[in-house]
Amino acid sequence: MNVTYRSFATAAAFALITGPAFAQDGYSPSAITAFVAAGAGGGTDNFARTVQPMLEERLDTNVTIINLPAASGAVAHQRTATSEPNGESIEFASSTLITSLAAGQNPIGLDLLTPVARMQSDVLMLVVNPEKYDSFEAFMAAAEETPGELIIGGTHAASIDRMAFLGLNAEAGLDLNFIPYDNEGAASANLLSGNIDGMFNEISAIQGYMDAGEMIPVLALADDRLEAYPDIPTTVENGWDLTFGNERGVFINAETPPETIGAIEAVFEDIFGSEAYQDYAARTFLNVRPGWLGSEEYRAELEKNLAYFQELMADN
Amino acid sequence: MLSDLMGGFGVVLQPINLLILASAVLIGFVGGALPGISGVILVVILLPVTYSMEPTGAFMLLTAIYASSVFSGLITAILYRAPGTPEAVMTAIDGYPMTQKGEAGKALGVGILSSALGGVLGTVVLIVATPLLADIALQFSSPEFFALAVLGLTVVASLGGNLIMGVIGVCIGLIIASVGLDPLTGTQRFTFGNLELMSGINLIPVIIGLFAISEVLKRSQEGDVHLASKSFKIRIFDWPVIRQIRGAILRSSILGTAIGILPGIGASTAAMVAYSETVRWSKDRSRFGKGAPEGVAAPEAANNAAAMGALVPLFALGIPGSGTTAVILGAFIVHGLTPGPTFMTGNTDLIYAVFVGLLIVNVLILVFSKPFIALLSKLLDVPYSVLGPIIVICCVVGTYSVQNSLMDVWLMLGFGLAGFLLEKVGFPLVAIILGVVLGPIAESELRRSLAMSRGDWSVFLDRPISAILLAIAILLVLVTVLVPLLRRQPETAQAHDS
Repeated sequence: MNVTYRSFATAAAFALITGPAFAQDGYSPSAITAFVAAGAGGGTDNFARTVQPMLEERLDTNVTIINLPAASGAVAHQRTATSEPNGESIEFASSTLITSLAAGQNPIGLDLLTPVARMQSDVLMLVVNPEKYDSFEAFMAAAEETPGELIIGGTHAASIDRMAFLGLNAEAGLDLNFIPYDNEGAASANLLSGNIDGMFNEISAIQGYMDAGEMIPVLALADDRLEAYPDIPTTVENGWDLTFGNERGVFINAETPPETIGAIEAVFEDIFGSEAYQDYAARTFLNVRPGWLGSEEYRAELEKNLAYFQELMADN
Repeated sequence: MLSDLMGGFGVVLQPINLLILASAVLIGFVGGALPGISGVILVVILLPVTYSMEPTGAFMLLTAIYASSVFSGLITAILYRAPGTPEAVMTAIDGYPMTQKGEAGKALGVGILSSALGGVLGTVVLIVATPLLADIALQFSSPEFFALAVLGLTVVASLGGNLIMGVIGVCIGLIIASVGLDPLTGTQRFTFGNLELMSGINLIPVIIGLFAISEVLKRSQEGDVHLASKSFKIRIFDWPVIRQIRGAILRSSILGTAIGILPGIGASTAAMVAYSETVRWSKDRSRFGKGAPEGVAAPEAANNAAAMGALVPLFALGIPGSGTTAVILGAFIVHGLTPGPTFMTGNTDLIYAVFVGLLIVNVLILVFSKPFIALLSKLLDVPYSVLGPIIVICCVVGTYSVQNSLMDVWLMLGFGLAGFLLEKVGFPLVAIILGVVLGPIAESELRRSLAMSRGDWSVFLDRPISAILLAIAILLVLVTVLVPLLRRQPETAQAHDS
């Protein structure tokens, strides 16, 4: 009896130390609601659903995912911003949060939502049809010879790829046109058939076309040449300060106590460093550029990009 | 290819994979039969489950659920005029009147057979011609999509009833479709500052409201009467009926496959165009809308064929042709596969296993549907005073689940009331759906075409496919308007009879 009791106590003490690994931070939610500011099946949704079991395991609780795609995710931002600030409601969102903010389509700003962590930083590439342009030089030559004639396809008017389009026009002094399609697939189809001249896309989405030689990336929106794609010139080496990409991260109601936010940030940092997460990132080409940013740095990054997007939108 | 196909059979006929297919069909049945729960939602719910499976099994599961959910939308459309999926709206037009006439068993039999045949034909085309068809699909850009949407809108002329009311209905649908952010500039239209209206009015609340809720309201006024067909027997292989509908099935399967291949057009549009073509080719148009078996066969053959067709650009180009295939595309990437032009050559085993799986699913639909529907039809014995509220509850839950929006539920109830009142004055509700489905395609593709040509309208005539489609549309409108005028004298007597 005594022995059983003691071993039970030891086990319990052991469980207290190792079991709820993050409980010592004073953060032990009874359940978590995770709003996803995008429809089911896209990159942000895949991100949330991949992280869901990792989060459940670390916090020893249930995580329920609710997709709120309406109004480019603004409904999800609103639900998060008005949730109980106790760390039990979090949000997975992409850069659409700030592009729609810049376009005036989202009333929920960074004063109401606090960034917890950035997990992914996808590199945007200018992609062209190799039958039309075999290199960036060829594309630029055509753009400069026939101003107002070349068409860039994209997703919607307040998307990250439209920002890339506006940024390139402004930085390189070009006069390219933009046609938004209902989805990325429609834009890709028009690029394959040569109806448009280019589009901005993420590596994960174009890998298959690159392998088949039916699309080629000719410009990366990055500081330095990417290790995996050393032949692709970057914006910065051309003297253009355009390095933003599609970022995905976690947000929370701004009224949440800082220590709770810190605890959640620590959980996500642990997830980010785990082998399971890095496997997923490698599979989906999300590790081309380091993804992790903590709460403070992520906010600074978002505010910098937001200011730039607002400037771009104001000029157009 | 034949050896690849045999390899596919080898994979699929393993017991575990057969089990996956059978359970996928049952899941698709249940989900498709519940209004609001569409194939997209089922695929999303099961996506995490597939993470631990090996890719072949995972994609057999996802594609099989997709195929069977498109099928089972017809059950509630025929029995209760509550289309289980948007693709089944057109099926309700003639299917529900058949139920009211006491022919529910016949209508379901026609629907099941047409679905299975349409699905098989679509799959065969998928197996034989995917790479070739994908190239053809790429010939379609904005001007062609615009022309196709215009052609689809001419369907209103063949719906029967009052043409003026039909045109008004389409216009109401177009107005509903214009709510939300402007697809090209992002400007807010008719949103009244409401956040949820910014993404526009979803198709599902409109369909469920106009059809299912309005019918419940109507029946509630008629008192507690049972449907004429309290108990019925489903006859799938009913030869006299098959002779009557075989032309419609064949034509609609081909049309459905062809339209399904085009990215972004979808099975709902395919069902609409197939229905209208069947009416046009029919000798006696007056039977449609009142319970004509061809009116059930055409949309069902077409939407199942189109669902298979939508996989063509997905497999051959990595471009999703519909909402559900977009989710499946995301699943490919999570499973470490790279969709794109080389996908088919690089993953032959997987592709052919999925193809064979889809063939078997369409056969399983024939086998499983009878007991499944028999179970559902037990509900017809329940008095309508109990059944009606159950239908309303299913509609509310289903609508809410589409994008977790309470706003959608209120819209759905509002459209229910509107549908009830509009139908009282003899308004063709389908005309509104036509406007809602085709309006956004027509508008945004028109503007994209003009952006492509920098404002030059000749883009619609310079491109042969769009020129031909537009010419057909104009011709059809002229014929529909002029022929009755010319034939007015001899037809007046007939009109009085009916």
